[in-house]
Amino acid sequence: MIIHGLRISLALGLLLAPCIASAQQLDNTQIMTTLGQVKAAAPAVDVALLVEEANANVGKGVAALPNWSKLSELSQLIVEIDFENNSTAIAPKSYRTVGLIADALHHPNLFRYKFLIVGHSSATGTAKHNLELSQKRADAINEALSTTFAVSPDRLFSVGAGEEWPIDPGHPESADNRRVQLINLGLLK
Amino acid sequence: MIDRVGIFAGTALAAFLALTAVGRADTISYADAVTTLAKECGADIKKFCNGENLGNGRIQACLEKNASKVSPTCTSTLGSVMTSVAQRQQAQASVFKVCQHDISQYCNSVKGDGNILSCLVETTRVDNKACNQAITDAGWR
Repeated sequence: MIIHGLRISLALGLLLAPCIASAQQLDNTQIMTTLGQVKAAAPAVDVALLVEEANANVGKGVAALPNWSKLSELSQLIVEIDFENNSTAIAPKSYRTVGLIADALHHPNLFRYKFLIVGHSSATGTAKHNLELSQKRADAINEALSTTFAVSPDRLFSVGAGEEWPIDPGHPESADNRRVQLINLGLLK
Repeated sequence: MIDRVGIFAGTALAAFLALTAVGRADTISYADAVTTLAKECGADIKKFCNGENLGNGRIQACLEKNASKVSPTCTSTLGSVMTSVAQRQQAQASVFKVCQHDISQYCNSVKGDGNILSCLVETTRVDNKACNQAITDAGWR
């Protein structure tokens, strides 16, 4: 059950310099360990403000924006989920990754937390289109998790970053920039 | 604890009840369930359900709508995958209730669902069959 090309970034406050283990096998324990590291002083993030900031700064990057910069301090995981070309349909080869995330979110260790799904794209196409598509793709993952995989919808949020926060800024058109970030937003109130 | 509502409530619940009546099969994880679905139905999904998403039962509905054209292996896989997902959901929703007695007996001072589960896994392996089975079916050991 090796997943090819799956990248896991055990980034806790290290998003700008994430350590990427290539072609690693992702499993539930890894997801839970990575996403379960919650710092007591973790900042609260308002998802509506993330959307506002991204939309107001198309083409200018999001990493330095006030609300987006808070995300770096939260426990997170980067996975690759492939979509059909220019579509919001998750490719069947990526179903497993979504299923793995669902399994982890159903574990009692992660029951109490809410999560943000951040969609990213490479810089192929216009910045505005990429922002919209990445938002819709993040929404599609949110929907799959909350319906097909029965994760409670009040635990899930989604936002698109488009091409605004490349993992590989030197190669904005690289496929490596098409990725999905899963971020622990802290305790469900 | 989080209240989970079965998504495939209709047919899948019926399938679940039918399955429990004839004896239990082990449940599989969501990941294994959809991996099987992708393997056995991936070609049919690309052919008949292009652009459809996994959410809201759309892939399931599309494969069912095209049942006459979809491969028999895919159709049977879809049924067993949905049954397994429903069975695991059912188990996950029931563990803390089924294990209530054991929790108060062995894990009374333990706080937090994750810690209570660890405590149960440590202590109930030998004595409470129903609780043990629920933890196994939930995929939590």
